[in-house]
Amino acid sequence: MKIIVGIMKPDSGNIEVLGKDVVKDPTGVKGIVGFVPESPRLYEFLSGVEYLDFVADVHGLDSAAKRERITDFLKALDLEGKENELIHGYSQGMKQKLAIIAGLLHRPQILVMDEPLNSLDPRTARIVKDLIHKLRDDGVPTIFSTHVLEIADAICDRVVIMDNGRVVEEGSTGELKEKAGSPGSTLEEVFLKLTGSSDTREIVEALSR
Amino acid sequence: MSFGKAYKLAVVLTKSQLRGYQRRRLGARLFGDPRIILAADAAVFAVPALLGYGLLSRTLPIAMQNAVGQIEAESLAGMPTAMAFMLILFGILGEISQPIQSSSTDLINWLPISPGEYVAGSTMSLSYTYSFMLAFLIGATLGPAIVFNMLPTWVVAAVMTLLSLFMGACVVELLRALTNRISSSFYKRSGRSGIFVRLLLTILVLVFFQLLFSGNIIIYLLQGLMLTVRAAWFVPVVWPSLAVLSVSQGDILAISTFALLTLVFVIALFGFAVRARAVYWVPVPVSIRLTNQTYHPSTEAKNFLGLGVAESAIFRKDMRSLTRRREMARLLAIPFVLAVSLGLSLFPIRGAALPVGAGFYALIPVYVMPVAIFCAIMSMTSIGQEGSAVWNLYVAPITPRQLLKVKLVLPVLLGLAFSVAMLIFLGFVLNITLANFVILLSLSAVIVLGECALGLFFAAKFADFRDIIRSRFVSAWGSLFGTLISLILVGITASPILISIVIHGSIGNEYVVLSCAIGLIIFLVSWRLAEQQMAKLLREILV
Repeated sequence: MKIIVGIMKPDSGNIEVLGKDVVKDPTGVKGIVGFVPESPRLYEFLSGVEYLDFVADVHGLDSAAKRERITDFLKALDLEGKENELIHGYSQGMKQKLAIIAGLLHRPQILVMDEPLNSLDPRTARIVKDLIHKLRDDGVPTIFSTHVLEIADAICDRVVIMDNGRVVEEGSTGELKEKAGSPGSTLEEVFLKLTGSSDTREIVEALSR
Repeated sequence: MSFGKAYKLAVVLTKSQLRGYQRRRLGARLFGDPRIILAADAAVFAVPALLGYGLLSRTLPIAMQNAVGQIEAESLAGMPTAMAFMLILFGILGEISQPIQSSSTDLINWLPISPGEYVAGSTMSLSYTYSFMLAFLIGATLGPAIVFNMLPTWVVAAVMTLLSLFMGACVVELLRALTNRISSSFYKRSGRSGIFVRLLLTILVLVFFQLLFSGNIIIYLLQGLMLTVRAAWFVPVVWPSLAVLSVSQGDILAISTFALLTLVFVIALFGFAVRARAVYWVPVPVSIRLTNQTYHPSTEAKNFLGLGVAESAIFRKDMRSLTRRREMARLLAIPFVLAVSLGLSLFPIRGAALPVGAGFYALIPVYVMPVAIFCAIMSMTSIGQEGSAVWNLYVAPITPRQLLKVKLVLPVLLGLAFSVAMLIFLGFVLNITLANFVILLSLSAVIVLGECALGLFFAAKFADFRDIIRSRFVSAWGSLFGTLISLILVGITASPILISIVIHGSIGNEYVVLSCAIGLIIFLVSWRLAEQQMAKLLREILV
């Protein structure tokens, strides 16, 4: 994910994001990608709204667009009334909301999200899920990583299963279930089967002793 | 209270202090083991003890024996009180330097550890971490004590200094708990002004610390302490010193009384610290509201000093970082600390009644060096201070040149403001002529530019993004090389002016122009190097 966003060098090969090479034109790529990292570290000495204002300015949003986007997002993700408090005092969920807003503020053409639903309350998680679907309908794809396979099952059109840094299988959830030979099972069962780690009973037995 | 748990906690806290600084595996293995402190203690005890004894027992002229004996007696009596004060000051400095992130990730708050166990563990860890000061004090006084037959006084002084070490550690724990509650309540109510007051207080503490450790003041305090210590018998912090003073009079009752009182006071302080921790500690970070106004997009800084919108946004962020983060207050305090040092060093110049011209020439290095040091430190720390939040800059669509430009502007502005303020002050004190004022201003302007650009090269090359207590924001080697090369380049820049003074006894205009030209060349070369280094840094995220 860090290579796609242009903050890590690939060992080999190259990646183009909507026609822009991430190594040759990292600044151009960063302008069209929205990134939400896992456990985002924010500037804790800024207030929530100061942080979003900073991100919007760095992406070159004009005043009117800034005001509209920031106000709308703060309201939608329940941060209204808290925006003038220093981020230092925010809960992990509130920081995650800010990071998600920061990733979406500049209307990215592609979204890269690393475990974005971590620490979110059910309402916000639902909003983010629906937003991802809406963005997909508007032509903005999302690359999304998660260890919670129910979430992948509910959100993703296409799933890539990785184990130890290698791609094990990819396809739609239906295709993956078929490939695993268990069409009626959950994505979690498919994952465990495909990665050869399905026998968890012994471990549970040992732990509960 | 479980002493085993308190001991385990002390070991963990000491390790976290030691290992926070170690980036490499070898460094962590060598210096991350708490036993390294014992080794350091042994060294700082043995070396001054052997040196002191060796020197004084063989080479001390008879005429000096009385004076040295008097100093030894004063040192032994002042040692316990000095120990307590030093530990309190170091403790306060540690609190000030703590990054904002660490207070919200304090796992200790959620573990089943009682306030008593925490305070005991933390006190042990603090005392052990700073035990090198105790080792040095008792080591440095042992040699003279043997030579002047003051061994019994030394033994009592050593025990009292050890008790004072614990006394200081307990006071720090007490202060931690109290300031935690006071600052939490204060910030909650006062918001932005609370942050400003904290900044001001931090700077005052640092300036006070600087004052206390200047040679003149230490001598003055030691002499004052000896004169007033008996009169201040009711002040608990001087009880250990009174116990030591009583040894020379052979007053066993007074020794026992003051030693016992000291012990009781340390135990009472520990009790107060435990109580304060239990009652006042606020483990959850407090929410600070800056304003109640509705959001207005920032537009005012657009094109400020040639900065674009994105660069202005980073500039505003850095300004807020400087004034709101308590670990940044150290940097803001530098000009004040340097100005105080400069003020103290000016007294001999005035006292010697040098002519205006001679005073001015002596002033050049005294004026130029603080400006250079301030600029070098400000720019060397400008990248690493982003901490783990630096990913925000990595994912932003900004070029290395844009980032370098904005990171240059803030230290240059602060450096120029500092140099102008110092010049105005010195102009009044030393009656500097207008021509000399302009010479110094031109010299400082090119030095500010050169030092800031050079500092940025080291900032990008040796950035330290770890959010640790007393973070330097730049690696130890980077800091060392950076400061050294900065000072050498300042010397090279100022050398034509100094040569002119040596050869002609005055400053020729052509020499000023030459100095400025050298300064500008250093700036341009440093800028180019910094640009390359910044591009390299932004190629791959380090955290």
